[in-house]
Amino acid sequence: MSDVPEPRGSVHDPESREPASIYVHVPFCLTRCGYCDFNAYAGLDHLAPRYVQALLREAELATPAWAGERIVSVFLGGGTPTTLEVADLKAVLMHLRDRFDVAADAEVTIEANPDTVDRSKLDGLLAAGFGRLSMGAQSFDRGVLGALERIHDPDSVRRAVREARAAGYANVNLDLIYGANGETVASWERTVWEAIELEPEHLSAYALTIEPSTPLGRRVQSGVVPAPDPDLQADMFETTCRVLGEAGYRHYEVSNWAKPGFECVHNLGYWQRRPYLGLGAGAHSYRDEHRWWNIRPPEEYMTQVEAGCLPVGGEERLEPSDAYLEEVFLRLRILEGVPSSWVEASKAEPFLESGLLRHEDGALVPTERGMLLLNELVLALTG
Amino acid sequence: MAEVSWEASAPRVALARRDLCRAAVRRCSAPLAAALSRARAASRSCCSAAWASPSAAVVRTFFDEVFSAERTDLFRWRRRSFWRFRLIWDLMFATATECTSANVLRPKLGRGRRPYDRRVVTDTASIRNFCIVAHIDHGKSTLADRLLELTHAVGERQMREQYLDKMDLERERGITIKAQAVRLSYPTAGRTFELNLIDTPGHVDFTYEVSRSLAACEGAVLLVDAAQGIEAQTLANYHLARDAGLAIVPVLNKIDLPAAQPDETARELAELVGCEPGGVLRVSAKTGEGVTALLERVIEAVPPPEGRRDDPLRALIFDSSFDVYRGVVAYVRVKDGILPSHAKVRYMATGLDAEAEEAGVFAPEATPIPELGPGEVGYLVTGLKDVHQVKVGDTITVTGRNRAHEPLSGYREPLPMVWSGLYPAEGGDYSVLRDALDKLKLNDAALHFEPETSQALGFGFRCGFLGLLHMDIVKERLEREFDLELIATAPNVEFHVIRGEEVIVVHNPSEMPPPGTYDRVEEPTVLATIITPAEYLGAVLELCQSRRGELVDMKYLSTERIEVHYHLPLAEIIFDFFDQLKSRTRGYASLDYEPWGYEPADLVRVDVLLHGEPVDAFSSVVHRDKAQQYGRQMVERLKQLIPRQLFDVAIQAAIGSRIVARETVKAKRKDVLAKCYGGDITRKRKLLEQQKKGKARLRRVGKVDVPQEAFIAALRVDQRAGSKP
Repeated sequence: MSDVPEPRGSVHDPESREPASIYVHVPFCLTRCGYCDFNAYAGLDHLAPRYVQALLREAELATPAWAGERIVSVFLGGGTPTTLEVADLKAVLMHLRDRFDVAADAEVTIEANPDTVDRSKLDGLLAAGFGRLSMGAQSFDRGVLGALERIHDPDSVRRAVREARAAGYANVNLDLIYGANGETVASWERTVWEAIELEPEHLSAYALTIEPSTPLGRRVQSGVVPAPDPDLQADMFETTCRVLGEAGYRHYEVSNWAKPGFECVHNLGYWQRRPYLGLGAGAHSYRDEHRWWNIRPPEEYMTQVEAGCLPVGGEERLEPSDAYLEEVFLRLRILEGVPSSWVEASKAEPFLESGLLRHEDGALVPTERGMLLLNELVLALTG
Repeated sequence: MAEVSWEASAPRVALARRDLCRAAVRRCSAPLAAALSRARAASRSCCSAAWASPSAAVVRTFFDEVFSAERTDLFRWRRRSFWRFRLIWDLMFATATECTSANVLRPKLGRGRRPYDRRVVTDTASIRNFCIVAHIDHGKSTLADRLLELTHAVGERQMREQYLDKMDLERERGITIKAQAVRLSYPTAGRTFELNLIDTPGHVDFTYEVSRSLAACEGAVLLVDAAQGIEAQTLANYHLARDAGLAIVPVLNKIDLPAAQPDETARELAELVGCEPGGVLRVSAKTGEGVTALLERVIEAVPPPEGRRDDPLRALIFDSSFDVYRGVVAYVRVKDGILPSHAKVRYMATGLDAEAEEAGVFAPEATPIPELGPGEVGYLVTGLKDVHQVKVGDTITVTGRNRAHEPLSGYREPLPMVWSGLYPAEGGDYSVLRDALDKLKLNDAALHFEPETSQALGFGFRCGFLGLLHMDIVKERLEREFDLELIATAPNVEFHVIRGEEVIVVHNPSEMPPPGTYDRVEEPTVLATIITPAEYLGAVLELCQSRRGELVDMKYLSTERIEVHYHLPLAEIIFDFFDQLKSRTRGYASLDYEPWGYEPADLVRVDVLLHGEPVDAFSSVVHRDKAQQYGRQMVERLKQLIPRQLFDVAIQAAIGSRIVARETVKAKRKDVLAKCYGGDITRKRKLLEQQKKGKARLRRVGKVDVPQEAFIAALRVDQRAGSKP
């Protein structure tokens, strides 16, 4: 390898620090979906008030170390953050703004499930400062929603988005999933078009990934449900690229499309390897080639925080070789790509020839085909 | 060299051979016909070469035989302690599938020396040297136990109970010696007879070794299970013993079994050996019934050894083993003269001189004695450190004026019959493998190996084995004892490619010259003896026909049982023939075979190409009629095993430049993690590191990455193309 990237910024020089982000994890859901392996739980709603207090307390504990960071984005994810009361959500955000140097124009996103929001809640969220709404639509095909064990109706997504617009939301994302059992390229294309009709500023389209630890994963392992066909998913990916491209969306990350100017600042932070502070059960944090993560079970997390301790469950220090590997595989996910100088020319050459990579402004950028084969690219370029 | 071995082929079934020779003369080229007629004229004492039978069933039967008390099966055994397992393999290795109580005792050399009374030189007239030959599982080891008990060679009940524990201990200390010949003292009619019971390996892989053991005897107890009747190995062993000129003592065993048919079996046996049914002894080795009478019969029927004390020394080495402290131990039978325990001796075939350090007998502890006289059986330690210097079949004499000039007949080098490439799964283990092979070779004179390079598998060794069992044992020992992971290429026989006057010996299919550059190819053939119940005759014939077999003859042993002789290419039976035979006859058929010369055959090399590149490890030499089938099966199997690459990979089977089968592994299109956010990065990085390690283990064939496992799975013998009808 050549030219391993220097860590940007330094602990001793806050002025040179690059922008950072805060992620807040809310581990509560109405139901658990069969495909989901996130740190989320149904039926723990009674813990919500105590959990909110724990979030506030953890923010205080983290303040000394992160007070100097310039926070350009806040993201409330889960789980389903909108299972919490607006007042609680507002309190959390206010607290973060009090404690940390959150920019006035910071991007503040909240994830929502169509069934957990109505007009008044959306009004409240927008007023509380959550300017970006990310909606778990998943699909507009009832069959696919059934295969994914999603409880909502496609119509509730349309309703929720309409209400968000009415409430004044100008930055809405829709999450979609493709490749569930029974889905065809044609039905997926209809879903994409249905999504486009709602005119979201941002669209995430994920190939369904089977996680072994999930109920769906177990059904696939036991052969009850067929595993997704990667070739079919590749066809769907290509369809997505084509349709969203025609509709004016820019494909800026493997699974993310946005109208120009609406790329997700927060998520770009992960792919550009900017620092992030994670609050809440199981949340990961990263800064200066150091990554650590909180205890996953909400109960244990809260107990730890209530005792006045940082609820760290584990950590790792990244060796230069680890950092290099992360730089390459994260940056190749986005259109910025990796600087050509980071990769031996001989390693990149075959992929430039075969059209998986292209040169752009001194960077190696994956083509659409290259994005689909990113693991292979990363292994070959860093091997 | 090969020609010599064919000349040495023992006459077995005279009629069959005559027919075969006539057929051969009619059919074959002049040199082959000449070789066959020479074979016909060859000495009766000449022995057939050692050949293979690939039989898991045989192995399993062996375990049952050894550990009949436990009746554990092979696979449970595998999970037990390492030492016990190693013991099994060593036993199999050392004594080849059958174990008499003699070698179970494992005495230590030179330890606890008990002075052996040698004041009176044993008169040859009081000596009887004999062995027990039997089909597997017919009760040979139980009978040996009874003989030991009866002659008080071992204390009352100590042998069965003790032997495993004792073995474990000795194994750990690595100082074991197998006793291949045990001396029994038997007083009767006012005389004390010295009976030497000599063990014979039971497996067809080791036929040559069997013949050497037989050459150390004057008589053989032919033991037949009264319930099972004569089996193929009964016949094979009987013919070997008869050809060695031994007195045969026919004995029925297991007469106490409810299923025993002593009268029926006695008739079969009497007909075989040419005696009256009444002359067949009936014993139960389990209960001891009739065993005393058997000993008396041995003394009566087996002639005492000939040989004079005054003649120059000639002692036959009929087995050898390796002891880490003492070096090579030769098991010897003195034919003429005296073998003193301290003298300069010469190994006649190797021309090597050495100092005799200790001579002794197994009584049954290894007991040093001042000398071994004519007709006696014992051991000799000369401090040599390499078993290859002490070859089974060689003759020992003294140096100096008194030396013998003519060695005993029948010596030959053990010839590998089955070849396979062994490669370390980790390229870096090459030197470990080389050292391991060197060490194994120390006590396995039959193992051959030479360095070989495969484009696909890297550096390894082409190894020659006596048979598939031998190959399995060697591979297993390499993996267990030296912690190696190995890839073994599909075993093949030795082909002769004839180009004018020139004979090119091919051990590796990829060395086979391209078609059109030679006159013909010859392959080794065997004469197979199959004994089957009459109701399965059709199935047996069908199997043999499907393996390019040629029926030689058949005859009824009784109304229900038939003996069939087939002339078959060795290559056709080396893989799963025995398993197929067993499964088609519900286990009732038995098989034995002996080499029957090289014959021309329409053989072609089938190559397998990945993305246009031939993969040498997958090349195979098969009969033209089966080439397409082999190619198709390899290609289909590889399609399942080769992971998708970034481009379409063509998998082709070709004979020369003609493609006979083709499949395509379509290019991989999607390999990316859909989501990668803050909490996913660590896990994702570790996943990539794993994949990187996996990539490092891939072998590159041209542009194609092939996982280790694909080679192992594609080369698995039990699934080989052409071996399933």
